[in-house]
Amino acid sequence: MEILRYVSDAFVVIGIFFAFAGTVGLLRMPDAFCRMQSSTNISTLGLYGAVIGGLLKAISMIVEGYELGWTMLVKIAPIGLFSILANPIAGHSIAKAAYQHGVRPEKEFVCDAYGEDEFDD
Amino acid sequence: MKKTSFGAWLATFVVCAAFWMLITLSLDPQMLIAGAAVSALVALFAGRFFIHESPFHLLNPKHLFALLGYALLVFPIELLKANLDVAKRALSPALPVNPGIVKVPSKMKGEYGQAMLANSITLTPGTITMDVAEDEQGQAWYYIHWIDVAEGTAEEQGDAIKGTLEKWVGRIFE
Repeated sequence: MEILRYVSDAFVVIGIFFAFAGTVGLLRMPDAFCRMQSSTNISTLGLYGAVIGGLLKAISMIVEGYELGWTMLVKIAPIGLFSILANPIAGHSIAKAAYQHGVRPEKEFVCDAYGEDEFDD
Repeated sequence: MKKTSFGAWLATFVVCAAFWMLITLSLDPQMLIAGAAVSALVALFAGRFFIHESPFHLLNPKHLFALLGYALLVFPIELLKANLDVAKRALSPALPVNPGIVKVPSKMKGEYGQAMLANSITLTPGTITMDVAEDEQGQAWYYIHWIDVAEGTAEEQGDAIKGTLEKWVGRIFE
């Protein structure tokens, strides 16, 4: 399955591109919240390019008859599943905690609906 | 505190046992029995935290296919569009960002649906859900940090952020 390996390499390259764009954004964005937005680039398509690439590589190894492919498959699939469950929750809590702790950008928000409404918790 | 219902126990048990079989990768009866025993015990304690609403909601084929269509087709397309947009912003020399926090209404009912929509919004680059609150009328409001705030009413902004996501999540948890 030569073609499967090329497709898997293409996915890894896509992942690398988005991880690169996310890293550049992380360095260039003006404030903490925008930096978080840019880092989402890395944790979604950056990670998923690598995960899908790895899955296809594992499948191609299974097809070619290497036993090692199965262990790869079983390790990569939960990584994809758990990261997609845990990532948004971590991102949400970091953003909320930063805001409630008093982190504000230098350049004012265009609009700030969260600050206008009072919260008890 | 809420008691663990049998349905919640069963669902937690199945998830734990399936994960045990996945990581041990053996069908040896001794391993299976040990896994089942530990899973049963864990489910007894953790069931009420793990399951908050109906545990067998997704066994309805209509909901299951909606979930599959969402996870394999609708969401990846939205993800790709948003990723390209934010990557373009990060790499563009002018750095065109216009950040702000907007408050948008949501039609989603129920804990699971609201959590899934909020997490989908957070996973999409360019938007992070900061909080979900319900007002006196039971209407859910999302506070969303948005990297490029568009002009408009709360409903228009909500449509721009949520796109097709809300319709599909609503179909899963209707």
